[in-house]
Amino acid sequence: MSRGGGGGGGCCPSMDLMRSEAMQLVQVIIPAESAHLAVSYLGDLGLLQFKDLNVDKSPFQRTYAAQIKRCGEMARKLRFFKEQMSKASISATSTQFSGSSLEIDDLEVKLGELEVELTEVNANNEKLQRTYNELVEYNVVLQKLNEVQQNNRGKCQQISLAILLWREMVTDPSKQVKLGSLSGLVPKEKAMAFERILFRATRGNMFLRQEPVDEAVTDPQSGEKASKNAFVIFYSGERAKSKIVKICDAFGANRYPFPDDLGKQLQTIQEVSGKISELKATIEIGLAHRDSILKSISSEFEQWNTLVKKEKAIYHTLNMLSLDVTKKCLVAEGWSPVFATSQIQDALQRATVDSKSQVGSIFQVLNTQEPPPTFFQTNKFSSAFQEIVDAYGIAKYQEANPGVFTIVTFPFLFAVMFGDWGHGICILLATLYLIIREKKLASQKLDDIMDMMFGGRYVILMMSLFSIYTGLIYNEFFSVPFELFGKSAYACRDPSCGDATTEGLIKVRPTYPFGVDPVWHGSRSELPFLNSLKMKLSILLGVAQMNLGIVMSYFNARFFRNALNFIPQLIFLNSLFGYLSLLIIIKWCTGSKADLYHVMIYMFLSPTDDLGENQLFPGQKLVQLVLLLLALVSVPWMLIPKPLLLKKQHEQRHQGQQYTMLQATDESVTELEEHHADSHDHEEFEFSEVFVHQLIHTIEFVLGAVSNTASYLRLWALSLAHSELSSVFYEKVLVLSWGYNNIVILIIGAIIFLFATIGVLLVMETLSAFLHALRLHWVEFQNKFYEGDGYKFAPFAFASIIEEED
Amino acid sequence: MGFWVTTLIFLLAGVVGSLFSLLCCNRGPSTNLFHLTLVITATVCCWMMWAIVYLAQLKPLINPILSGE
Repeated sequence: MSRGGGGGGGCCPSMDLMRSEAMQLVQVIIPAESAHLAVSYLGDLGLLQFKDLNVDKSPFQRTYAAQIKRCGEMARKLRFFKEQMSKASISATSTQFSGSSLEIDDLEVKLGELEVELTEVNANNEKLQRTYNELVEYNVVLQKLNEVQQNNRGKCQQISLAILLWREMVTDPSKQVKLGSLSGLVPKEKAMAFERILFRATRGNMFLRQEPVDEAVTDPQSGEKASKNAFVIFYSGERAKSKIVKICDAFGANRYPFPDDLGKQLQTIQEVSGKISELKATIEIGLAHRDSILKSISSEFEQWNTLVKKEKAIYHTLNMLSLDVTKKCLVAEGWSPVFATSQIQDALQRATVDSKSQVGSIFQVLNTQEPPPTFFQTNKFSSAFQEIVDAYGIAKYQEANPGVFTIVTFPFLFAVMFGDWGHGICILLATLYLIIREKKLASQKLDDIMDMMFGGRYVILMMSLFSIYTGLIYNEFFSVPFELFGKSAYACRDPSCGDATTEGLIKVRPTYPFGVDPVWHGSRSELPFLNSLKMKLSILLGVAQMNLGIVMSYFNARFFRNALNFIPQLIFLNSLFGYLSLLIIIKWCTGSKADLYHVMIYMFLSPTDDLGENQLFPGQKLVQLVLLLLALVSVPWMLIPKPLLLKKQHEQRHQGQQYTMLQATDESVTELEEHHADSHDHEEFEFSEVFVHQLIHTIEFVLGAVSNTASYLRLWALSLAHSELSSVFYEKVLVLSWGYNNIVILIIGAIIFLFATIGVLLVMETLSAFLHALRLHWVEFQNKFYEGDGYKFAPFAFASIIEEED
Repeated sequence: MGFWVTTLIFLLAGVVGSLFSLLCCNRGPSTNLFHLTLVITATVCCWMMWAIVYLAQLKPLINPILSGE
């Protein structure tokens, strides 16, 4: 097994999630014929992180590069199918895993066949569609021009045609002149330019008649709908004809033959209509055929997709294994949790049996000094909290995990900043919805924001529950206080309540039993009282959490058998800020009027002075002197012993070891040992470096004690902001609109109140308090003990591969 | 209701919560310890918050002065 530092803590009983699972470096030697199956079963198990033993080889030099290319091809075909399916609006149905497990070779063949078939069908359909569009256009031209001819079979046209003929005859009387006609469709935008260019090109010796078509027709070339004009051109002469044809092509005007004779026109119209309906039927059959192919694909698409992804992953992994000299077996190295040993051996056994191999796989544990990856076994509840901690830094192997306490303290600190039980209930309802529809939402693909909210649903649940609690304590329901736990403790001095607004009320009954007295809200001295309360609350909570951090560092020190640096740290923090917390509590309990700022500052400036009216308890001066001395002593205590201890430990470990290890000279087995020999023993020990390191830590701690304690005051600041915002929205929106006694204004006011509450308080304030609670954890709590420079255990597991690629 | 009585109530609530977690989700000693830690931490946090607010109102130095509206 590999452990860091030296030890296994036998100090305290073990606790889930407190430390990383024990990990071991294992070596598996698999015969070549069962390699594929073995890796597949290990992928199902998902508890082994393979090390890449072929780092220096390029992707093309690796053993299974060809197979990966095959898988890539199949993945491409599957993507093509998916595209086609989405174009035809057929979705891949997530079917149950039908018993027929396809072999990857058969799948490859099948995919190839399907692709060919589908491409062919698509090409045919396209051709048919184009022909259909042309025919439709032709039909439109015929009908339009027929209509035109019907309408204007008048003098106008005949005269113009006669003029044209006459002109021709005049220019060249010898030639036999006959008028030719061209008809077709031209896009509406280009119609004017078309006419002008035609006029210029033929020097006016042509007759153009345009008629706009009402509905848009699908252009056969581009496949898009465009609005066009139907035109007919009468011209004479071959040269004119060729010019006109070229111009038509340039303008993208499609030409269709238009017979002059009325009878023939009607006949052609009939024919074309017939062809159109025939073609339509054919196209529909074609589309139906394609749809049926796609449907048959869609029912198995997910399965195939999964299979191809798995295969690709297996081959990538196989590429990481090194081939033994005899080329008969593959060697794999990887990290796995100790508890998974039997499961891995079981999987290997099954692979041997299933592949009918003669030789079984060999499984052995290697000893190494490399730092193992960190693995926490979390369930759906604790995984979100662990991710929050991991976002700052993955825990070093087997150091204490702040995630354990974060599960409670993070929502709690959030709630201290958010305290309003009305808002808490709103958030609770929202997150209960997410939790109740958990299974359904988990299988859907959500967009980023919803995904984050869904992933953190249990965090938000805890946050909302604690918010309801702190809301009850702060006595705020959308900023309105209630007398839920008995009568308020305050009443007027005399029955007339004359001086209620000048001198104030007095306390006549015992303290309000749970939370802040409801009389405070809206009074003039509310802010001085609540500010004092919340600031002191923040300091007390902060000192408590920092002490917890130092205690966690004690757990770490005990586990790793390091120097016990936590004692001077505890002494320093508590002799200053622990003492301050004590003074706060004593002042509250005795009701003294002592000025705590004065006490703390003069404790440092002139500790031997008499305290006078700032005396909170007898003997205070002596106590303060002692605490000051303890704090002063603890600073060098933090600084000096640890480097000396480390130096002694180092000397003890390397007594007599003056020479480095000789390298082994024979191949295969010892080749592997070389990997481990690098990151090995003989580290340099520079005393000055260690000393400076410790100096930095000490300074950081000493200065940090003040700054971190002050940082906790953000608990007060955000809580104040939240209650003020809430109170403003309530009073200036809701109460104001109620005062007008008008139902319309009331409704408008209610809507504004709703949107303001949701937008500002439920969304923005939640994010804000979340962020600050996070900062308090990441910096003020974790810098007392957390190193966070480990790396995460990333096992080869099909479940995560399939999830990540989607 | 008094400081100590309510503190006792919190203590009892913590004990009840721990027993509940042991009874309903008994999954081995390390997991039980983990659940216990969570319950105790939550109880301590809630109690601290209540106790601080209660103590602050025990012998106040400021009185509520109504705003007179």
